[in-house]
Amino acid sequence: MTIREITVSVGGGQELDRAGLSALIASLPGLLVVPIDKTPPPQVLVWETRTSTDELPSVQSDIPILLLTEDAGFESLSESVTGLLSRDESPSALGIAIRQVARGEQYLSPSLAVAILEKHQTGSVLTESEKSIIETLTERESEILELLARGLSNKLIAARLYLSVRTVEGHLANIYLRLGVHSRTEAMLMAVKIPKSIGTTVR
Amino acid sequence: MNPAKTRLAVLGTMSDLHRQPISYDLHSLQKTIAEVSPDLLCAEITREGWERGDLSQAPLEVREALALVIASMDIVLIPVIPTPEQFPDFAPASGWRRRLVRTFDRFLRWGQIQANDVETINGSWFSIFCHTICWLTELVWTAKDRAEWERQNKQLVENIVHAVQRDSGRRVLVAVQCQRLHRLIPLLHAHDDLFSIVAYQDL
Repeated sequence: MTIREITVSVGGGQELDRAGLSALIASLPGLLVVPIDKTPPPQVLVWETRTSTDELPSVQSDIPILLLTEDAGFESLSESVTGLLSRDESPSALGIAIRQVARGEQYLSPSLAVAILEKHQTGSVLTESEKSIIETLTERESEILELLARGLSNKLIAARLYLSVRTVEGHLANIYLRLGVHSRTEAMLMAVKIPKSIGTTVR
Repeated sequence: MNPAKTRLAVLGTMSDLHRQPISYDLHSLQKTIAEVSPDLLCAEITREGWERGDLSQAPLEVREALALVIASMDIVLIPVIPTPEQFPDFAPASGWRRRLVRTFDRFLRWGQIQANDVETINGSWFSIFCHTICWLTELVWTAKDRAEWERQNKQLVENIVHAVQRDSGRRVLVAVQCQRLHRLIPLLHAHDDLFSIVAYQDL
């Protein structure tokens, strides 16, 4: 019985930052740090940035990138960037973020999610049709949507509800389908409008 | 949500031997959990303790091994014990019963020292040895303690069953002190309609 390791490369930032980050990733179970130019390429690229104006990596577009940042002010991001991890998160969150990105999912740190939502959501409310769709969600789906709106990762939602991560992923897929959205961020943008519009009806 | 039947495995841990000044490598337990990588890990901590983040009452293997592994993986911990008492906490305070329990305890410790790894602790010879010693020890306890131990194990199984019913079709690993296994496994088999019990290596 051997654990299937996820190959990860580290880039961006200063050499000392990269060395520290590589050592941290290597200490997490199931993750293997490999050189950025390795063949086959790494499954995930973790990229250090300080601000949203830092240079982003130009690598093969099919390698998902997890950006380690403290600023959510990016105006645009490459399609490869599927994760934004705040620098104020715990080391264990890094492992979870890497696994989520390696599975082809998106990861957004709660603090960054809140910052992004605050930036984009200014006084918007649900439309009547959105409201009626949200009312069709099951109790469990509403619960998950509420936690999603607070910026919790899948692992944290699962831990909070004592469900497996895969179950939460299944519920999220159903939620996206019902809401007619295609990403976590779109679902979050809709979810944060709920209290203003229908409040405790769904919650 | 998932029509597949839940698969459940029980992993006996070294338990109170970790309280002794014998240095055991908890890394092998961490490695086993990481390799099995269950969806849900039922562990010996109370729900109140886990939700407060207070691991002080939890067994050492939960504090120093399981909590660390699940923090960096997609494993969700389900706290399943109703009260923090462990097998040795039921030892009579004085008299011939105490002396006899201490004799049995010495046998058990000898056995645990011979079985210094996860595989042996969960192997057939140690299971027979441990089950016999624990069964004899329980016979010497007071009727009140025996009833309390049985009540605790029944409640533990109920909590496992609730977790399985809440999230069926998942891979569930139950990690408990080896002294519980001879009580727990027959109780779990009463729910064969809900889950298939398999060896932890086959989970």
